[in-house]
Amino acid sequence: LCLPLVSMAVPGRTYCYKVVLLGEGCVGKTSLLLRYCENKYNEKHITTLQASFLTKRLNISGKRVNLAIWDTAGQERFHALGPIYYRDSNGAILVYDITDEDSFQKVKNWVKELRKMLGSEICLCIVGNKTDLEKNRTVSVEEAEVYAESVGAKHFHTSAKLNQGIEELFLDLCKKMLAVSQAEEAARGTDPSRVGNARRGIQIIDDEEPQPLSNAGCCPPSS
Amino acid sequence: FLSDVHWAPLEFLWWTLSLQRQMMENLIIAKARQAALQRKMEERRLRLQEEANRRFSTNATLTPEEEEQRNVYASILEFEQDHEWPKQWKLKLKSQPNDLILVGGLVSQILSCPEHPISQLLKKLQCRIYSKLYPIVNTHFSDQVALTEPNAGTGLYPAQSQCLLNTDVKSSLHKGSRLKSSKSACCLGSVQDHVKNNTSEKNSPFEDLEQDMMKFELQPGSIADNMNLAVNSGQQILETEDMQLQDHLKNIVKDVHNSIDRLLTLCILAFEPLDSATGKDQCLASIEETFFQPIWMFLLALFRKVNHSREMALDKSLKLYRTAGPADVGVSDKLFPHKSTPSIGSYPYEIAVQELRSISKEFCPQKKLECIVRTLRLICDCAEQYCGSRQSGALIVSAIGADDLLPILSYVVLKSNLTQLVSECAALEEFIHEGYLIGEEGYCLTSMQSALLYVESLSKE
Repeated sequence: LCLPLVSMAVPGRTYCYKVVLLGEGCVGKTSLLLRYCENKYNEKHITTLQASFLTKRLNISGKRVNLAIWDTAGQERFHALGPIYYRDSNGAILVYDITDEDSFQKVKNWVKELRKMLGSEICLCIVGNKTDLEKNRTVSVEEAEVYAESVGAKHFHTSAKLNQGIEELFLDLCKKMLAVSQAEEAARGTDPSRVGNARRGIQIIDDEEPQPLSNAGCCPPSS
Repeated sequence: FLSDVHWAPLEFLWWTLSLQRQMMENLIIAKARQAALQRKMEERRLRLQEEANRRFSTNATLTPEEEEQRNVYASILEFEQDHEWPKQWKLKLKSQPNDLILVGGLVSQILSCPEHPISQLLKKLQCRIYSKLYPIVNTHFSDQVALTEPNAGTGLYPAQSQCLLNTDVKSSLHKGSRLKSSKSACCLGSVQDHVKNNTSEKNSPFEDLEQDMMKFELQPGSIADNMNLAVNSGQQILETEDMQLQDHLKNIVKDVHNSIDRLLTLCILAFEPLDSATGKDQCLASIEETFFQPIWMFLLALFRKVNHSREMALDKSLKLYRTAGPADVGVSDKLFPHKSTPSIGSYPYEIAVQELRSISKEFCPQKKLECIVRTLRLICDCAEQYCGSRQSGALIVSAIGADDLLPILSYVVLKSNLTQLVSECAALEEFIHEGYLIGEEGYCLTSMQSALLYVESLSKE
C-alpha cells in the first residue's frame, strides 16, 4: 500500500510527525504497534526502546514521512501524565477494546481533552481493537462510528491478533496529517523563512540518513 | 453488575462524576504544559526575529552586538593571517564537509585555542552569564560551600577546562585588552543590578568565579546536600522574590541561547564549509559542550531554586519509598527477578539506576539527555532479560510498552535517590533544541518527566 515511489519524491523534504497512542491498559496498544512495525520491509523498526517508542519511514505518493509513535501508559494512576506526552502531537490514535465498554468511554474522554488542548488540527483516529473477539462485543459498531464522525475522527476496526486493519489505520492517519501540513504550507504561502518555525513539531528537514545516538533526533535541528 | 436494574444508574452516575473530576485535573495540567511550550517556542521565534532584524537592518547604525560581531570577525581574519592551522582546516573541510569527526575536531581546536577570537568571545559570554548567576548563586551557596573542603584533583569536573577559563579570565583582566574593558563593564552592570541581593561588593566576580570553580569541584552528592541546606534556609522567601527568580531564570536562558547562536554564527562565518545541516548540527553540539561545561553547576543551582517545591516533594517520596521494591510501584510481576532467580546486580535494574545516577557527572545538556536515553535502553534490556529468563524457550518475547516502562522507570527514579533530577530535567527542557524532542530523546525525556511527576505525587497522597 505504501511502496516507495522514488520517482515522485520531492528531493530534500521529509515530514516528521509525532503520533501519540492513547488507551486504557489491556486494550492491546502494544500488540497493535508491534504488528504494525514487525512484518514490513524493515525488521529493525523495533528500536532499543522496544514497543514504547517506535519510528517508521513511509513514502506516501512521493512524500517522505517519518513517523515517531509514542506509546503512553494506560493505567489509571498515570492518567494525569497524558498531557506531557500528547503535546506537539500531529496525530493521536485512541484505542479501545470492542469487548470493553469502559475502555470506549475512556476514549471519549481523551477526545474531549485532546480537542480542547490541541484544537481541531490534531488528526484523530479511534480504533476498536480485538475484532477477533467479535462474539463478545459490547461496543456497537454503529455507536462507535457515529461518535467518531461527530468528533471529526475516523473510526477503524483492527485485530492485532489477526493482523487486520492496522496498515490501513496508519496509512490513513499519515494521509490526514500530510493534508494538514499541506494546508498549512499553503496558508503560509511560499515564505520559506517560516518553514523552520512551523507550529507544533511539524518539521521539514533536509534529506539525511538517520544518525546514531549522538544525533538521534527524528528531526535534527537544522535551522 | 449492569443487569442489576437498581444499581446501574447510581454506579453510572458515580463513575461519570469521577471521570469529570479527573478530566478537570488533566485539563489544568495540560494547559500549564501547553503554555510552557508555547512560551518556549515564542521566545525562540522572538530571538530569531531579533537576530534577523539585526542582521538585515539597512540602517547605518550598528547595534552593539552587531558591532561586536563585526569586530570579532575582523579579528578572526587578522588571526588567520598570522596562523596557518585555520587554512589547513579549511582545505580539509572543503574536501569532506560532512565529516562529523572533522567538524568536531575543528570546533574544539578553535575553542581551545586561547588566542582565537571565537574562543575569547566564548570566555566573555560565559563570564557574562556567570556574572548574572553570581549574585543568586553566591548568596545561597557560599556559606555552605565554604564549610566543605575543596576536593581538587579528584573532582568530576575536568580540570583542564576549568584552568582554561580561569587563566583566560585572569589574563584578560590583567592585559587590559579590549575584551577586558567590555567584560568588566558588563559585569559591573549586572552586579549593580543585583546589588540588593549581594552581601559583599568588595570582590570582583571573576575572582569568585575562580574560587567557586575550585569550590565546586565536589561530588554531586555533597552539592545536593549543600543545596538542600541552602534551600531549607530560604523557606521564608516571599512570593514576589519567587517571581523575580522566574524572570531571572527566563533571562538567563535567553542569554544562553543567544550566546550559543552568536558563537555558531561566527564559527560558520569563519569556516564557510560548515554551513550545511549536518555541519551546523555538529558544530552546535561541540560549541554547547564547551560552553556549558564551566557554568552548568551555576545554571543548575538556579533551576534548583526555582523548582524547590517540586524537589522537596520528590525528596519526601524518596524517603518514604526508600525500601520499596518494584512491585510496590506497580512493576508487572514478570518484569523483575524473584528471589529464586539469579540476576545481575544486588537489586533489579541496578545498571539502569547507576546509569541514571551518572547524569550528574555530565555538564552539557546533550550529554545528559544521552544519559537518560541510555537509562531507558538499559531498562528495556533488563526487562527483556528478566522476562526471557522466566520463560525460556518462548519464541516471541513480548516487547514492553509504556504500560510497563513507566512503572519500571518510576522504580529506577526512586532507587537513583537523586533529588536534583527534577531540576536537571527542567533545565534540559529549556536547553535542548525542540527539534530533538520529537524523536527517541524526546520520548525518553518525556517519560523521565512523567516518572518524576508520578513519584512526586506518591508523597502527596
